[in-house]
Amino acid sequence: MKISREARRAAREMYRLSLVDGRLDTARVKDISDRLVSEKPRSFLEILKEYTRLVRLELANRHAVIESALALSEDESNRILADLKTRFGNDITAEFRVQPGLLAGIRIKVGSDVWDGSVRNRLNTLSQQL
Amino acid sequence: MSNILQELEAKIEGIQSASTSKTNVGVVREIGDGVAKIEGLSGAMLNEMLEFPGGLYGLALNLEETEVGAIILGDYTKISEGDEVKTTGRLLQVPVGKELLGRVVDSLGQPLDGKGPINAKEFYPVEKIAPGIIKRKSVNQPVQTGIMAIDAMVPVGRGQRELIIGDRATGKTTIALDTILNQAKINQAGEASGDPNFRPMYSIYVAIGQKNANIARVIGTLEEHDALKYTVIVAASASDSATNQYIAPFSGASIGEWFMQNGQDAIIVFDDLSKHANAYRQISLLLKRPSGREAYPGDVFYLHSRLLERSARLAEGYGNGSLTAFPIIETQAGDVSAYIATNVISITDGQIYLEADLFFQGIRPAISVGLSVSRVGSAAQIKAMKQVAGKIKGDLAQYRELAAFAQFGSDLDARTKATLERGQRVVELFKQTQYQPMDVQLQAAILWSMQKGYLDSIPVERIKEFQAKLQEFLSTRKESTLAKILAKKQIDEEVEKELTAALEEFKVIFK
Ligand SMILES: Nc1ncnc2c1ncn2[C@@H]1O[C@H](COP(=O)(O)OP(=O)(O)OP(=O)(O)O)[C@@H](O)[C@H]1O
Ligand SMILES: [Mg+2]
Repeated sequence: MKISREARRAAREMYRLSLVDGRLDTARVKDISDRLVSEKPRSFLEILKEYTRLVRLELANRHAVIESALALSEDESNRILADLKTRFGNDITAEFRVQPGLLAGIRIKVGSDVWDGSVRNRLNTLSQQL
Repeated sequence: MSNILQELEAKIEGIQSASTSKTNVGVVREIGDGVAKIEGLSGAMLNEMLEFPGGLYGLALNLEETEVGAIILGDYTKISEGDEVKTTGRLLQVPVGKELLGRVVDSLGQPLDGKGPINAKEFYPVEKIAPGIIKRKSVNQPVQTGIMAIDAMVPVGRGQRELIIGDRATGKTTIALDTILNQAKINQAGEASGDPNFRPMYSIYVAIGQKNANIARVIGTLEEHDALKYTVIVAASASDSATNQYIAPFSGASIGEWFMQNGQDAIIVFDDLSKHANAYRQISLLLKRPSGREAYPGDVFYLHSRLLERSARLAEGYGNGSLTAFPIIETQAGDVSAYIATNVISITDGQIYLEADLFFQGIRPAISVGLSVSRVGSAAQIKAMKQVAGKIKGDLAQYRELAAFAQFGSDLDARTKATLERGQRVVELFKQTQYQPMDVQLQAAILWSMQKGYLDSIPVERIKEFQAKLQEFLSTRKESTLAKILAKKQIDEEVEKELTAALEEFKVIFK
């Protein structure tokens, strides 16, 4: 994706304005993007795409993906969710996925950080050490 | 028995809990030409190894707010958009140690010579912090290149960085190769002498962006002279990726540092840094870094300074070894003011400047007296060389000026004539065929006879013949005198007497 320097700067500026106390504010995101689309400044589509990318990355930072080989019980899911909220704050969102390739255990990803406790990962580590 | 079982179980437990440790991942957003843009990876460090699917690795070079630019080591076509990338917490490293001697390796230290695996016991990171000023020791021991013009006029000391610079095909590689051959010759003599204090000098030759045929020629020459066994060759040829060409000199430096940090001495040749700068420019363009003068990225100066900073002579207690660097730069039409050339000139401790004009006149090695300097090396010259060569550089420079002037004037005073006569003979003496490095004791003896006027009566066109026969005479019949020069490192009264007698004897034989 080619993007001009000015568009990148504008998107970053818009992104900064979308934060309240360092957190993304949904109302502001909607307001700012609406205004961009109605005013149509030069290369606004580029700006909107870059802005969306920044918002998506920030949302990913506040979103946990929990993968497990078998579906977790409600009790287990709730425990993990509570744990994540104490670690990352109450506004963290979460999604649970079943991933048989992990063989057993779970893998939690928040933003670009990963805690991998799956058997698949242990086997990989073992095979690298051997 | 149950104890061992417990131990084993504890081991498994350890591995299991260690493997739950946190990593950092990202997703490939763009891939092409050996460079990947990765979204995420917020925890990546500069120069960290990144793991791609299928066992491929990359190197994190650009750390930006929301993405990381990485260069791929290996076949980048196996990577696709959307692939997950992991940090590894490790820096790129290469095998180091004596196991590499006699081997030809790629920029990751993997063998290219089909001589089987390299069982190195140690690895060094490719990027390393240069030894600080405290650990360094002043340069006061020589590296004998075996090329008389260099050892006499631009002497190189251990730990120094001496640039070899000149147009294409002016003999740059040959100077480096001759220096490596001379180290092998000294090593062989030192080993044969059985002296327990003898310290061999090892060589690392890094080929960057050269044709495979040229690299093969270098290897062939080293093999022919039985010098390969003291040498490590790191090759990233023109057909290798820009990434590999970019890494090669840093890998070579790590291999050299191992010797330096283990009480040994090594020289390293970077052939050449012009091509290295081009590879770096290519990578930077792909990473979309801003470019500056001559389209090189702004930090190309830092690139070469951090590479050359790594050669040094280390104090006792800090490794007690040395690494001497011979970077090579190719100029266009003798222009030393081009960007990369001026950069490297300012980083090094001097330069050996080769002139195409001299080369075509048959003055080979084509060393320009006026433009070649060694800022620290004279402190490293042995006393015998200082005694006979102290004034030679100045005299020869004066000769070159006068020679240009003398073409116009006919009536020259006696002193000018004498300077011209002497100069012509010195130029002849300094002509030296490739792959025939000369021992320092023989160099001192030859220059001594010139200084004492024994060559003045020999016609200029017979100087080479006189020199060859004199060298043979001294080497075969006056070995003990030469050995004394080497042992005493100076020409004292006793040696002077013996040399005088030898030359008087030789004068009669030479007709
Ligand atoms: N002292 C010498 N005596 C005779 N021939 C020489 C001498 N030095 C170099 N040559 C010859 O000159 C040619 C060019 O030498 P060399 O390859 O060392 O130059 P270079 O500057 O490294 O060239 P390139 O620009 O291709 O890297 C070679 O064929 C070499 O054999
Ligand atoms: Mg060359």
